[in-house]
Amino acid sequence: MESVILDQLKRDRILDLLKEDKRIDGRALDEQRPLSIETGVIPKANGSARIKLGNTQVITGVKIQPDKPFPDLGDKGILICTAEILPLADPRVEPGPPTEEVIELARVVDRGIRETEMIDLRQLVLKEGKSVIGLFIDSSVIDSDGNLFDACSYASVTAILSCTVPKYELKDDVPVLVEGVTSKPPLKTIPVSVTMARIGNYIVVDPTSEEEACMDARITITTNSEGNICALQKGGSDGFTVDQLVRCSEIALSVGTKIRKRFEQLM
Amino acid sequence: MDVKRRYVIPGDVIATGPLRPEHNVYQDGDRIIATSVGISEIYENVVRVIPLTGTYVPKTNDLIIGKVIGTSPLSWEFDINSPFMGFLPAQDVFGRDYSPTKDELRQRLDIGDLVAARIANFDRSRDPLLTVQDRDLGKMESGQLVEISPSKVPRLIGKRGSMIQTIEMATKAMITIGQNGWIVISCEVPDGLLKAIEAIKMVDALAHTPNLTERVKSMLGVPAGEYNDTIND
Repeated sequence: MESVILDQLKRDRILDLLKEDKRIDGRALDEQRPLSIETGVIPKANGSARIKLGNTQVITGVKIQPDKPFPDLGDKGILICTAEILPLADPRVEPGPPTEEVIELARVVDRGIRETEMIDLRQLVLKEGKSVIGLFIDSSVIDSDGNLFDACSYASVTAILSCTVPKYELKDDVPVLVEGVTSKPPLKTIPVSVTMARIGNYIVVDPTSEEEACMDARITITTNSEGNICALQKGGSDGFTVDQLVRCSEIALSVGTKIRKRFEQLM
Repeated sequence: MDVKRRYVIPGDVIATGPLRPEHNVYQDGDRIIATSVGISEIYENVVRVIPLTGTYVPKTNDLIIGKVIGTSPLSWEFDINSPFMGFLPAQDVFGRDYSPTKDELRQRLDIGDLVAARIANFDRSRDPLLTVQDRDLGKMESGQLVEISPSKVPRLIGKRGSMIQTIEMATKAMITIGQNGWIVISCEVPDGLLKAIEAIKMVDALAHTPNLTERVKSMLGVPAGEYNDTIND
């Protein structure tokens, strides 16, 4: 999905406003758009969530089922995050194989959850090397107005927080569902990703698609509950200075703390 | 002047009898049936539907605001907020002696530029042809773009321009309205700009309600009766 072709007048206005530390939608530079979280929106999924971040909207479902482990990770359960942007979400999206941006989106979301070790995957093993439980977390962007990284990440994290894990037992090496017994997923921490765009010398949090159209570079930083930076992705053709990166990290931690409080209320 | 108005949806029979079908209706025997969501009007022997929603379908001679989204060797391509893409031939700007090797299209109009243009020709079988060969047409150098539904544009202009004149006078703003629902507002006073945007959004949201000019006036703080040489509808 190529970025929006922004009209020159609006671009000028965005840049002019930034000089006064203002943004076109009236937010502060380090302010996110209003976030609304709804969980349990897909009754047939093991966990689900719908996130609205401004005009961006993402729905995520979690499917939990037994599977064979990866050959090199026989002592861990499976965790796979995917993402897609539905053609209805944006006029620039066409059906077909995922584009580079969508693949990046899925990977950044996956990395945030994997590298913070949100889920203790070792507890999802039925028989080491033979049979484990897999979590498949699929996000669909249904409205696209910038910052899909955070929206998909928040939707995936809240879907996991709200999910229940069905119990499986091995009978003759075949996993069998134990009816009526569920448990909470084995959680260790809550990852929160914060995406920032650099427009000139200004760092703006949670860019809209209009701001993304005039950004020079973008960075997504995922932190865990202890305040450690666990995952990072930089995008765009330009770079960040060391000072800007330090500033981004500080913003990621302070904004992340607020978002994490919202997530903790769901538990 | 007796006008009968009511809300209709596609398929509604508006009237029967020897009437003339006009916009957004069709005739089936002696029944006149609506083809879009809107307000039906029976005025003398003419039946039409004023649509509440809809995309912009270009019409020859319409003034529109377009956004340059691409160039080819011989023309610019415009987003005109329509299912159709607008084309502005290079000759229209550079003159008859335009040569793709000599002249650089991007130097005159670059991608992202907003341009006031007229539809020079359109017949639904090919993409509409634009022209900037007229007074007040060409690149918009300043201002802010506001988007409203194209079906609300006539309401924003008002009867004989009453609505837009009211807004322009009360806010001291320069407003260029494109028939495609894109509007460029420029105003020296920042407060006036915000007021003008608010007024235009209000018209967009309340286009179907009566007495709108008066309500816009009170929102803008214009005393009732001022600039009141126009018909209130």
